[in-house]
Amino acid sequence: MRLLLVEDEAEISDFLRTSLAEAGYLVDVAADGKTAEWLATEEEFDILIVDLGLPDQDGISLILRLRQMGVRAPVLILSARRSVDDRVRGLEQGGDDYLTKPFALAELLARLRNLLKRNNPAGGEATRLQILDLELDLLRREAKRSGQLLQLTTQEFVLLEFLCRNAGRVVTRSMILEKVWGMRILPETNVVDVHIYRLRGKVDGPGQQPMIRTIRGVGYVLRER
Amino acid sequence: MSSGSVKPSVRSAAWRISLWSTLVFACGTLLVFIFLHRFVAGDIQRRSDAWLSGEVEVLGDVAERTPKDALYSRVVGEIAELAAKEAPKVQSDSSASDSVFFLQTGSDGSLQLWVGAGDGLAQLRSIRDSGVSSGQPADLHVNGIAIPFRVASIRVKDGTHIYLGLSERDQLRVLGELRLRFILIWLLVVSFGFAIVFFATRRMLSHVRRMTEAASVIGSSDLKARVPTTERNDEVSLLALTLNRMLDRIETSVDQLHTITGSLAHDLRSPLTAIRGRLEMSLSASTQGEQAEPIISAIEEVDRLTDFLNKSLDVAEAKADALRLNRVPFDLDQLLEVMIDLYEPSMAEKGVKIELHGGEPLFIEADQALIHRMIANLFDNEMKHLPSACTVDLRLMAQDGMALFVLEDDGPGFDAEVLPHLFGRRVKGKGSTGHGLGLAFVDAVARAHGGTATASNCENGGARIAITLPLASQNPS
Repeated sequence: MRLLLVEDEAEISDFLRTSLAEAGYLVDVAADGKTAEWLATEEEFDILIVDLGLPDQDGISLILRLRQMGVRAPVLILSARRSVDDRVRGLEQGGDDYLTKPFALAELLARLRNLLKRNNPAGGEATRLQILDLELDLLRREAKRSGQLLQLTTQEFVLLEFLCRNAGRVVTRSMILEKVWGMRILPETNVVDVHIYRLRGKVDGPGQQPMIRTIRGVGYVLRER
Repeated sequence: MSSGSVKPSVRSAAWRISLWSTLVFACGTLLVFIFLHRFVAGDIQRRSDAWLSGEVEVLGDVAERTPKDALYSRVVGEIAELAAKEAPKVQSDSSASDSVFFLQTGSDGSLQLWVGAGDGLAQLRSIRDSGVSSGQPADLHVNGIAIPFRVASIRVKDGTHIYLGLSERDQLRVLGELRLRFILIWLLVVSFGFAIVFFATRRMLSHVRRMTEAASVIGSSDLKARVPTTERNDEVSLLALTLNRMLDRIETSVDQLHTITGSLAHDLRSPLTAIRGRLEMSLSASTQGEQAEPIISAIEEVDRLTDFLNKSLDVAEAKADALRLNRVPFDLDQLLEVMIDLYEPSMAEKGVKIELHGGEPLFIEADQALIHRMIANLFDNEMKHLPSACTVDLRLMAQDGMALFVLEDDGPGFDAEVLPHLFGRRVKGKGSTGHGLGLAFVDAVARAHGGTATASNCENGGARIAITLPLASQNPS
């Protein structure tokens, strides 16, 4: 996967380049809009990360210009503002995504995966998900562990489905809040954790191998191995 | 707006101004007329009095010189008739026969000679009753004749009295016509004046009203809009220009605030992002257990710092009315249900119950993300401060065109010394672990939407927070 990172802050682009490379991306870095335009015409990228505050131009103008030049790759927008600009919303509806600084690395990686998946949908939408001995029937909204039907509420099923779709990858609390409850908030209390504890109590029965793991300081992961 | 402008025009300033100015104008012209009327009436009377006095003197002279023989009454009578024909007439068609009379009484008071309409007995009786004496002419009311006479008299040396009377009919008719014409012209001028003043002020004030409408739009949402201006160089257009100049400055200031907070946020965020990233990297690369512990707590500290930074900037922006709102209509009841669904398990774990009394869809027009954060702040607050076995009661209703959201609990309530400035920044109760921005943020979000937030203690001692938010103008469903 070729990735173009457009970010002027050396500190951020440094650690992003390292961790993105670790995650398996081939990373090119552009420190300003001009370099980014030039790189985008020279090479073909699968995905772009664009910071809004560039020294020579506005990140959104850059994205719009790249789109005009025929760059189709999805863009993950990095923004230092909390109040999200209407134009960012417009891009978000166009299939791109945004993330406000500071962000968790796990969340950045998850969003990149989502964008890539959205751009290349592999076949039709699955109606069943299976991770180890956990089975989810997405049509009947039923979950089974080792053939045993789990008594889940609607919300718990949505939460479990989200974890399963990201099985093996870390999801952060803010991702869970956004995807399962549809809100971008940062609660000061342990609201998400309690939902996870409850779900874990139902999914990981006594004597069973625990599937939902907590990664402290980061988030949660559903084991796939 | 146009449908509602007909009725209030009766009470409008234009209506009042034209009414009062017309009243003053009408009274003024009326006073001028009364003065004029008195002057004209006095002048006419002076002229007829001068004629009467002169004429009666001539007649007296003639009566004195004429020998008292058979021809006396003929001579005097003819001279009297001649005099009557010369009487001052305003209108030529008035017959001399009944407008003037001549009357001579004997020394015993009996009627001696009469020239005029009728037999003169009625006049003689009136003269006796009113006691007209020689000297200044006086008014004489005769029984059976509506219009009074002006009568002058003289005493002849042989003891007889001569009376000369002139009907005041012409004088009254002249004055009557004067009054009629005045009233007609007066009515015309006053109603014209009223109409002109009314339409002029209404035109001027309609401009003021358009400015008010534009200003209210600016006040509630759109800082980019301007009040309408006109080419006329009067006070109203000057006011519009001044308002627009003021709005330009406000907009510039708000833009500057956006820029400053934006760059401040950016300056702080980038190092925070780098710190967090490096911490995360070292966490995944290195290790588990005890070595990971300080890194994890460092990440948590960074997250807390980030949260504090976000909230401070939010509150600062909202206080300056500079929050960018993305207003959409949505059901507040449903939003609350989702949020309760999110918070209920953690509250239950703390032993706190939460109940929503509503159930009716209630559409408001607001920034959904901000409302999410506002409610999250309220719920976080409850969770941090409520002891277990307490209940949080939520009520939602429409009231006076606003959505009213009331949160009540049966906990210890707010500290009395904190209560008056609860929505201020960095205000914390005793033993509070937060950074004191939660309620300031709640208040700022409510205000930014044109609503209010109030906090008090319930009768049972629990805390009560009431928030109003504007209802959606149209129900989207």
